[in-house]
Amino acid sequence: MDRRRIRVLLVEDEEIHRVVARAVLRGAGADVDEAENGAEAVRLVRERIGGGGGGAYDLILTDRQMPVMDGHEATRRIRAMGVATPIVAVSSDCLPSDVHAFTAAGADDFTPKPLTKEKLGHILAKFQLA
Amino acid sequence: MDYSNLRRQIIFMKKSFFDQGYLDEQFNQLEELQDESSPNFVEEVVALFLKDSPRLLINIEQAIEKYPQDFYRLDSLVHQLKGSASSIGAVRMKNECSVLKAHGNDKNLEGCRRSLQKMKREHATLKQKLESYFQLLRQVGPRNSAVNSRK
Repeated sequence: MDRRRIRVLLVEDEEIHRVVARAVLRGAGADVDEAENGAEAVRLVRERIGGGGGGAYDLILTDRQMPVMDGHEATRRIRAMGVATPIVAVSSDCLPSDVHAFTAAGADDFTPKPLTKEKLGHILAKFQLA
Repeated sequence: MDYSNLRRQIIFMKKSFFDQGYLDEQFNQLEELQDESSPNFVEEVVALFLKDSPRLLINIEQAIEKYPQDFYRLDSLVHQLKGSASSIGAVRMKNECSVLKAHGNDKNLEGCRRSLQKMKREHATLKQKLESYFQLLRQVGPRNSAVNSRK
């Protein structure tokens, strides 16, 4: 069975959250690209699906509050490109309205920060990436 | 050097952090992520927290004093501090952030000020405890430390 490493895009502006999520992702055997805001994320996704980009990401994890472009808008634009990659919001804002807003933008799931091995395990199993 | 005694001290100190409610399970999660390729991972994450949090506390204080002009900024700063505290399992600080947020939403300025003072005390205590902990860990050294021990 093909056990290639999964490719994850981590979208997060704050260093401490990037450091923790990066370690959790690498620990699960993923290759991680990082974007510090939604605009950078959209650019990386577009590059990936363009010719020679290596193919779409297997998973996108995104925060909500970020400078330049937030997670909702990035999700909307990624979906507008026709990209079906699972998008999971990893955010500290966990009210039902926050979850709903992300879902409405096109996210597939939502998990509160911080990212842990267990939470990532559930995500990978849910999207059959394990 | 008496490594077994130092290791006991480390284990006891860490246990006290949990028993006294300073840290929660997230701290253990960080220790589980530490390995030979990132042998100082926990200390690095804590260092990031200790680097960001003093500035956030100062900015929060300024935003409170400028209230209500800086309300959204206050909310955003407290949100950032809360997230940062959660990353290392600093549960008391995380909870106090929720209290401060609620006071802000209620326009309770005195409540905000009290909460901030409490957070500053919590932060100072936590900083001192964590710095002592990592100092002990450094004495024991990476080969001898029992950081991942779940006894």
